[in-house]
Amino acid sequence: MTKKKSEGANEDQTIETKKKSVSAVKSQKEKPVVAKQSLSGSLNSDDFDSDVFDSEDDASQRETEGGGKDSSEDELELHGHEGSDDDDEGEQVDSENEGSEEREVAEESDSSEDEVAPRNTVGDVPLEWYKDEKHIGYDITGKKITKKEKQDKLDSFLANMDDSKNWRKIYDEYNDEEVELTKEESKLIRRMLKGEAPHADFDPYAPYVDWFKWDDAIHPLSSAPEPKRRFIPSKWEAKKVVKYVRAIRKGLIKFDKPEEEPNVYLLWGDDSASDQKSKHLTYIPPPKLKLPGHEESYNPSLEYIPTEEEKAAYELMYEEDRPKFIPKRFTSLRSIPAYENALKESFDRCLDLYLCPRVRKKRINIDPESLKPKLPSRKDLRPYPNSCYLEYKGHTGAVTSVSPDCSGQWIASGSADGSVRIWEVETGRCLKVWQFKEPVKCVAWNPLPDFPILAVAIGQDLVILNTELGTDEEQQKIEELLRLGTLPEQDEAVAAIVSWLPDETYGGIKIKHFKNISYVDWHPRGDYLSAVMSAGETRGVVIHQLSMHKTQRLPIKMRGLPVCTLFHPTHRGMFIIATKKNVRVFNLQKRELAIKKLETGLREISSMAIHPGGDNLIVGSKEGKMCWFDMDLSSKPYKTLKNHPKDITNVAFHRSYPLFASCSEDSTAYVFHGKVYSDLNENPLIVPLEILRGHSTSSDRGVLDCKFHPRQPWLFTAGADSVIKLYCH
Amino acid sequence: MPKHYRPAGKKKEGNAARYMTRSQALKSLQVNLNLFRRLCIVKGIFPREPKKKVKGNHHTYYHVKDISFLQHEPLLEKFREIKTYQKKVQKAKAKKNEELARLLLTRQPTYKLDRLIRERYPTFIDALRDLDDCLTMVHLFAVLPASDRENLEVKRVHNCRRLSHEWQAYISRTHALRKVFVSVKGIYYQAELEGQKITWLTPHAIQQVFTNDVDFGVLLTFLEFYETLLAFTNFKLYHSLNVKYPPILDSRLEALAADLYALSRYIDASSRGMTVEAKVDASSSSQSNDRAESELRLAQLQHQLPSSEPGALMHLVADKEVEEDEETRACKSLFKDLKFFLSREVPRESLLFVLPAFGGTVSWEGEGAPFKEDDESITHHIIDKPSAGHMYLSREYVQPQWIYDCVNARVILPTEKYLVGRIPPPHLSPFVDNEAEGYVPDYAETIKRLQAAARNDVLPLPGVGKEDLEDPQNLLYAGVMSRAEEAEAAKTKKKMAELEKQYHEELKKEVTGSAVDDVAAAPVVEGGDGEESSVPDAAQIAQDTADMPTLMMSRKKRKLYDAMKIGQKKKSESVERIKQRKKNLKADQ
Repeated sequence: MTKKKSEGANEDQTIETKKKSVSAVKSQKEKPVVAKQSLSGSLNSDDFDSDVFDSEDDASQRETEGGGKDSSEDELELHGHEGSDDDDEGEQVDSENEGSEEREVAEESDSSEDEVAPRNTVGDVPLEWYKDEKHIGYDITGKKITKKEKQDKLDSFLANMDDSKNWRKIYDEYNDEEVELTKEESKLIRRMLKGEAPHADFDPYAPYVDWFKWDDAIHPLSSAPEPKRRFIPSKWEAKKVVKYVRAIRKGLIKFDKPEEEPNVYLLWGDDSASDQKSKHLTYIPPPKLKLPGHEESYNPSLEYIPTEEEKAAYELMYEEDRPKFIPKRFTSLRSIPAYENALKESFDRCLDLYLCPRVRKKRINIDPESLKPKLPSRKDLRPYPNSCYLEYKGHTGAVTSVSPDCSGQWIASGSADGSVRIWEVETGRCLKVWQFKEPVKCVAWNPLPDFPILAVAIGQDLVILNTELGTDEEQQKIEELLRLGTLPEQDEAVAAIVSWLPDETYGGIKIKHFKNISYVDWHPRGDYLSAVMSAGETRGVVIHQLSMHKTQRLPIKMRGLPVCTLFHPTHRGMFIIATKKNVRVFNLQKRELAIKKLETGLREISSMAIHPGGDNLIVGSKEGKMCWFDMDLSSKPYKTLKNHPKDITNVAFHRSYPLFASCSEDSTAYVFHGKVYSDLNENPLIVPLEILRGHSTSSDRGVLDCKFHPRQPWLFTAGADSVIKLYCH
Repeated sequence: MPKHYRPAGKKKEGNAARYMTRSQALKSLQVNLNLFRRLCIVKGIFPREPKKKVKGNHHTYYHVKDISFLQHEPLLEKFREIKTYQKKVQKAKAKKNEELARLLLTRQPTYKLDRLIRERYPTFIDALRDLDDCLTMVHLFAVLPASDRENLEVKRVHNCRRLSHEWQAYISRTHALRKVFVSVKGIYYQAELEGQKITWLTPHAIQQVFTNDVDFGVLLTFLEFYETLLAFTNFKLYHSLNVKYPPILDSRLEALAADLYALSRYIDASSRGMTVEAKVDASSSSQSNDRAESELRLAQLQHQLPSSEPGALMHLVADKEVEEDEETRACKSLFKDLKFFLSREVPRESLLFVLPAFGGTVSWEGEGAPFKEDDESITHHIIDKPSAGHMYLSREYVQPQWIYDCVNARVILPTEKYLVGRIPPPHLSPFVDNEAEGYVPDYAETIKRLQAAARNDVLPLPGVGKEDLEDPQNLLYAGVMSRAEEAEAAKTKKKMAELEKQYHEELKKEVTGSAVDDVAAAPVVEGGDGEESSVPDAAQIAQDTADMPTLMMSRKKRKLYDAMKIGQKKKSESVERIKQRKKNLKADQ
């Protein structure tokens, strides 16, 4: 309240001063500019504006000089008003007032024009022309106005900081002086910045005064007649309106904002309505992510954490084999760090969801044992060879071939050391030994019981040996047979590849071939004998007739390399040749093309055996597979068994029991039950019975030959470990 | 469909007619790959595997029906419209017509996915079945930092956060949570809703990092769909509780980042409000408009209840609910009379979710908490520090893992192993069937015994009194007792198995031995040393006998058999490895 009072007092004072200034103005009325100023009334502050900001030309400067002084007085008056209005400014305004009062007093004391600082008269030229000069320009009298001394920057800064009015000071480069804006001026600037009229009292929306109309006007301003357009409504407007109306009617223009539909609502209100079948493909739901196990815990049991060595081993693994997640242990919840793969895993899941083909897969959850077929009990299929009963030892090299005689009393064997031995089956006694220079490839006993002779393949020679078993009568016959008298005429082609010679060392017949013999087989009648030379290609198979001492070439053309041959057990003229890939059946009597071709699908056939019934054939291959052919049924295998991991060396059928066997380089022999029914509709029954082990591998070879005993369900196996074994039931 | 030339009267058939490659699909739809991907994602269309890949192995095949399904999708038109609109905006921008560009941007065409959700999930159960990925993703994005570079706006992160909280509030309120598992990757939760098991993963509440090897465009498209799906699911769930959705939250609690608590209060309040309202308005049902409003007011009034009043929450929860199965009841009453207080350093969000879901009362350190730390009735103080400062004698100071283990075991475990400063026992996954896995960790066995003991207590048996159960020492003792019994049983079992095995071996010998006897009877054997080698060992014979039928299997079956065997072997190997490690650890100690 007291402050206000004092301000009130101030106001009184200023009113007084105003009166004074008005009188001063009146006294100076002779100057036209001043007169103009007083006419425009409150426009005086505009002048200040021009003084400070516009670098007006010098003449007007001069003219307004008097007014300038005048307006400074006006400003004072305004200050007074301000001070009374503003409660907040209080003290400062007061002091200002006091200061201005003092100045006014000083002005009043001597108001001569000499006191005014020299004004620059250089005009509107770039000020940088005077940059390097000592003066800033010239005053009205043409004297140089020298530049003021530059104040020390630090000092000026400090002074500025101390000065509370510093923000109002502006440096005028033109006159080289510092101008302090008055409060009024700063307000004016503020107004202009706002885009308002500079003067506070100016009313931009003053009521319109129509100067051209007055009440007692006699004549109109224009005598032109009123145009038509003033009277009729605008056509274009009407068109526009119609357009809008139509748009509104159509709903193209909407006035109020469309109502916001609720973002969420009850989507699945009544589920019963939605059970109609969708026309689309069935939806396959994505598989759920695997649920975490114990090892993913932040604090798993210690046994789930891999040891250091295991972790090191992970580093050595290929990246795809490496476990994706390595369990870690944190002893408290607060120590778990952020999982760095969180985003990545989420992203991978997304990719899986929209990029991976989805297939509904049936996962079988069964015991794998239930997949195994139910086989008839092995007990019911007895007898079959299952354990080693005897070993025949004596050979020093691998036993390549064995052959039991048809009575089952003797067995002949040939070995890589060049010896051929005859053993007594039941005792294992070695009856006879023949020694040759080359390794024995194959031995075969004549199937006739009264002709105990042996065919032995040694290198290029096929030697027919007299075993000197049997009665004297039989011996006579044999000797007669083996005596080469005058040899019959041979074909030229045959003579080129085969020659019949007497064997000097052991008194048999030696049939010399042009290539190494790999396989020998007797005809069931015992007169014919076939020899296979694998390297002989088209001339690889020859048939010898012992009674005539004659050799025939195969009357048909061969395809591929022959591996082994068979005479059909029941049909007289049938001859079976296995080449590397296929098996062909010929009829020798009719001399025609192959009757039948069996497609084995094997890579390389190694051996072949025929069922005594003559309709079924088994073929062993070097990839360890064995095929059973039912020749009446199809040219494709009825059953393919993959039983050996290594080459099958030989396969054999039993002559009377429903048994067959295979032996392989992996030094095992398999015994199967293979029953052929007389009923043609019934498929043969094949049951694996026993795996016979016992041979040891020597120089990567296992069992080289296997043959069944002709009467008993026994199996002879010839091993590369120079042992012959007899497996009994 | 693309028209290819083919001779008249010849129709394309089979796989060639039924499937098309991706580029064919793009051509026929006349869209670019980006748009196609978006459509596939929102429409839920995935490639399929034709039996015969006509165009080659390196193509992605879509079913023709799927593509025609996309072709008739109104969203495709909408996307095209948006694309042309974007061109308009770009044009305006290129011509420096910023104002027009801004104006155009405000009127951008928008699209909605609600119809698609209804189409993909015709029933609510279908939606619940596929909710796993949705929840995991939304929970992940709820903790991601907003990023300009990846075009991930703050708004969306907040939306994700809100949706996840709403979901959690519902699960917690209906006590549908079943299993919790703290893994290195985050916390797995499993809830059961309408018979569906829903599992989701929430990341740990730590700043997540952006990696460079993800395409955020794809992620955000998925997120867009998932957000909508979860919003509708939440609506349905809240609707079933008679609660208004979207919920109006107490702004004070929201500001304190106690959203979940605010939500649960809201649900409780408004569901009760509804029931009260229903009673009142039964007679005067005319003012339905008024009713909604007053309900809202009531709900808001509920928020203004003094938040330190713990009973308000609890007795509301106690409202009887009609359909409650056995398990829900068990879950509801697990922490029934317990009062928890969470320290500052424990994962508050997770525990605020889990504890009420199992019937516990919770408070925490910080503002807006229902009760203060010095409340005398607090029974458990959850703390995750090496040592507690001032300890009240009336309560137990346990580590947070105790809660998770209790939840998974469904019994209150003895706290002594989980006390402050101790290394807690291993945290086991509740998702593993230990028996099927073939290895049971020690602690799982302990928990099993404790569960059995708890069950015994419920059925009043002589000898086991109530105080026995309450005393953890006694409980443990009981556990030890049963352990001894079990060990004994195992021993006898083992003995039996051994005897059985022996018997089998003898039988086997008999089978093979008949021949052996024959051999023995046979007179002379040359090379007698050969006999030992010729009689193979029993194991070999058994192996052979077992392998024999595999010879007769068809190739397909044999391969299947081998694959199964390999699988079994792998499993048993890993179990063996774990057992070996355990043995080594024991040997080291």
